[in-house]
Amino acid sequence: MVKLHRKVIGSAAMFSAAGLVLAGCAAADEDATSGGEVEVVDQSAFEEALSTPTELTMWAWVPDIQNQVDMFMEEYPAIDVTVENVGQGLDHYTAIRTALSAGSGAPDVVQMELQYIASFDVTNDLLDLAAYGAGDLEDDFVPWVWNQVTAGERVLAIPQDSGPMGNLYRQDIMEAAGVTTPPATWEEYAEAAQAVRDNTDSYISNLPSGQAGQWVGLLWQAGAKPFGFDGDSGVTVNVNSDRAKEVVTYWEELIKNDLVSTDPDFTDEWYQGLNQGLYAGWLTAAWAPVFLSGAAEDTSGLWRAAPLPQWGEGENVSGNWGGSSSAVLSATENPIAAYELARWINMDQEPALAFATEQFLFPTANSVLADPAWLEQEPEFYGNQRVNEVFADISESVDVEFQWLPYMDFAYSSFNETMGVEIDAKGDLSAGLDAWQEALVEYGEQQGFSVNE
Amino acid sequence: MNAQTTSSVKTKNTRPVKVRKTSRVKRRTNLSAYGFVAPFLIIFFLMLFIPLAYSGYISLFIERIVGGINFVGLENYARAIEDPRFHEGLGRTALILLIQVPIMLGLALIFALALDSGYARGSNLLRLLIFMPYAVPSVVSTLMWGYMYGQNFGLVGQLATSIGLPAPDLLSPGVILFSIMNIVTWAFVGYNMIIMYSALKAIPSEVYEAAEIDGASQFRLAWSIKIPALRPALLLTTIFSVIGSFQIFVEPSLLSPLAPSAIGQSFTPNYYAYNLAFVNSELNYAAAIAFSLGVVIMIVSYAVQLSTQRKRVAE
Amino acid sequence: MTSQLNASSRLQKPTRRRKPFTREGRRSNLLTIFMWISAVYFLLPISWLTIASTKDNRDLFSTFGLWFGRENNFFNNVVDVFTVQDGVYVRWALNTFYYAGVSAVGATLLAAMAGYAFARFDFPGDKILFSIILGAIMIPMTALAIPTYLLFSQVGITNTPWAVILPSLVSPFGVLLMRVYAADAIPSSLIEAGRVDGASEARIFWQVGLRLLGPGLVTVLLFNLVATWNNYFLPLIMLRSSELYPLTLGLAQQSAISAAGGGAQALFSTVITGSFISIVPLIVAFLLLQRYWRTGLATGGVKA
Repeated sequence: MVKLHRKVIGSAAMFSAAGLVLAGCAAADEDATSGGEVEVVDQSAFEEALSTPTELTMWAWVPDIQNQVDMFMEEYPAIDVTVENVGQGLDHYTAIRTALSAGSGAPDVVQMELQYIASFDVTNDLLDLAAYGAGDLEDDFVPWVWNQVTAGERVLAIPQDSGPMGNLYRQDIMEAAGVTTPPATWEEYAEAAQAVRDNTDSYISNLPSGQAGQWVGLLWQAGAKPFGFDGDSGVTVNVNSDRAKEVVTYWEELIKNDLVSTDPDFTDEWYQGLNQGLYAGWLTAAWAPVFLSGAAEDTSGLWRAAPLPQWGEGENVSGNWGGSSSAVLSATENPIAAYELARWINMDQEPALAFATEQFLFPTANSVLADPAWLEQEPEFYGNQRVNEVFADISESVDVEFQWLPYMDFAYSSFNETMGVEIDAKGDLSAGLDAWQEALVEYGEQQGFSVNE
Repeated sequence: MNAQTTSSVKTKNTRPVKVRKTSRVKRRTNLSAYGFVAPFLIIFFLMLFIPLAYSGYISLFIERIVGGINFVGLENYARAIEDPRFHEGLGRTALILLIQVPIMLGLALIFALALDSGYARGSNLLRLLIFMPYAVPSVVSTLMWGYMYGQNFGLVGQLATSIGLPAPDLLSPGVILFSIMNIVTWAFVGYNMIIMYSALKAIPSEVYEAAEIDGASQFRLAWSIKIPALRPALLLTTIFSVIGSFQIFVEPSLLSPLAPSAIGQSFTPNYYAYNLAFVNSELNYAAAIAFSLGVVIMIVSYAVQLSTQRKRVAE
Repeated sequence: MTSQLNASSRLQKPTRRRKPFTREGRRSNLLTIFMWISAVYFLLPISWLTIASTKDNRDLFSTFGLWFGRENNFFNNVVDVFTVQDGVYVRWALNTFYYAGVSAVGATLLAAMAGYAFARFDFPGDKILFSIILGAIMIPMTALAIPTYLLFSQVGITNTPWAVILPSLVSPFGVLLMRVYAADAIPSSLIEAGRVDGASEARIFWQVGLRLLGPGLVTVLLFNLVATWNNYFLPLIMLRSSELYPLTLGLAQQSAISAAGGGAQALFSTVITGSFISIVPLIVAFLLLQRYWRTGLATGGVKA
């Protein structure tokens, strides 16, 4: 019985319940596009929309994204795009939600990290781009990334960047510890961690207690499927599966024996830790190499990149941490222009390549991944190693089937209070997973989902 | 806000000489009086009363991601009463009330008495230096202390290692509350001191002269003349400190990236209400928490008043 | 609350300005040392901030916090502060002046009018109204922020300056102070004289009342100014466009950029220098106005 009304949600519903008039309620018309034939807006409508003077707003925090937008406005002079940075991460999503519930002031296009797409889809705030022909773009993107932005036939966003995970490490410190080749398995990694601790002042890496995304990436690599969402009202929460517990038990050992540190990341202290060699490595995502070369300038030339260690000998699997897309909010008044903005900046070779070469983004479009201008870069920071090639290979090894909960902001903040606390206390990480599971189930039920465990 | 105005202003025996007139004139002056009060009252009504009422209203509903909105009566309050996370936050606030507030007010009192006694050299400069942190926005003071708290590379770490001590981790779960107390104390000792200092300055000099003739010592003077005279100022600073303690938000919110697992969503009640509303999408429950918080604050403030009143009666 | 606060002002009645009680030469070395050591605690963070604002990112963490780095980078940092993100810092500073200025002046004026009426008029309902206002002192403003946000979004004024200014116009404590002040500083005889001359009530308030309230106005104004200047919670909830941010919100957001994952930029030295610049105006205002409100207070005590 709730199904009929489940589209009237968000604070919109609250206001109507409060007897107030809601302006600009933009519950998406899902039925028009879900299931059956997808009717695509025809070319003439596109031409008309793109030559009509239009104002668009885009919220994003990618540095210098204005460059891409300038290119877009040169391509489509009738369209005037304003870029606003309303904060990173949680602040950004909070801003979108509040603007949506306010019924005004919401942008047309938003940057949306892959794990948050479901959270906005469940409230029908994302425009189904299939209606504008986005379904045809599938072959232009890496399959696992494409899977992240789609739900069945619906296309909820255009991929922008991704974060397949690898291992960045300080070659000098590893060699000082007697580790000459990057560990191929997690078992070897644990041995290397011991060697680094015994022979140097460093930790083999830092695994922050508060970085849920990184931990989930490691679960992803291990093939654990912690989350599931059926696109409607059913979710699956299984963060304390046996597989997940195996993974965290491995780390529990390392943490308890003081072989890896668990300092919060992206703090002043952490930046210093990287610069001063406190951390001899970083199990991180593909967006990190460029970032690191700016953040740890003092250590230029000493870093190298390798794939993540594997759980089984001879395997080649990775997980993903981070990555973004451009989504169009269903509240937009100019869907065609907004769609074209989202598509063009991420697919047209010039802006998309610029994302990869001039900003820090790791590409998701096949054409950029194959572009020698990007692929064959030999950054000095990594001793002229072709780091992009390493990560391009890793990207192909990411497990395709991975889903998120439609309430990831709660999930991540709850991670800090359950897993994070155990990690910090060098405690029982399996118990941490159990507590996280419990919190996620409880919240899901409170929010009216039917929760499978 | 400041009470130093209150302190130096006298009202005793100056009970407002109210204007009483014949009814026609009276009606005219009444109208003017309402005219003077109206602008404030209108804004007061719009910005205080309506939001409060609205908050109470929406706290009677529950809105779910799936299932929409439903009237649930007092269910949110029942949940709040049983919510361990809310209790936890209130517990931290209680610790702040029991530890930080007395320390802060105690220091403010000592400084105020010391400056008033005139025994310390450079009193004027001292007063300014101690008061200065009040002019630093809490955002800035939190960022600043956050940098200084850094274990390996922050000032505290540097100072500790330079004298051969292990660097303390001031951002760890067991310690962070005290680190926050320190920030608040640093920021507000001077403010409270100024309030008390102004109250001391308002004590008529005849009182001192009489005491001096009696040969009372400085401590005697402080104990039997100054502190009793400070009671109203102390009450005022206590009440403002109580209200302030319940509203702590900036410190946990800006320190949480530095100590993600030490500062949870519900670290303080106010931070919890914010997270409920803007992270968990539980606006209605957030309203119930905010509303309950207001009630708790009123009860505690009232209790503070009652206890001081009883003391006075007892004397 | 009412009786208590009234009692507070009643008890602190000064009859005349106390002449310095202590005689010259009666000093205590022990107390002096204690006080100056305490002062170091209050000064330390500000000294740290001042010194840190002369360092670049590298020196910030690799050199001792209370001494200067390898080179003076202060001017580069200042340039960064005013140019990073297209110089949005200037916008933030202007916004802060704007929000704090309008709110403080507005709140003070409203409080002065209401306080004046409560002190000098006897009108039906005055006692009840005044008790309600006093009770409101205890309502935590932050508890109101979320419902206010919801209501504002209904009217469509979130993410506008009004969203920050309107709630800041209410200062129940200001009304209380102003009532005490007006009762004290404005003699009824003057009001009567004005009425006899046939002046309107508004004119009497404007020309007689406000002038005599001067010192109280400055004090209430100054503290309202600090309250709005330092406010973080309200703008955080109400504002979304960074060009509307006040300094507090802007600095917090800038400091969060260093934690933005792949897009992170380590702006530490910029944030620190920006923070340093942001606290200068208020400290200067307090220093400059210090004499003014002190003499103002004394005047308040002598009058009436």
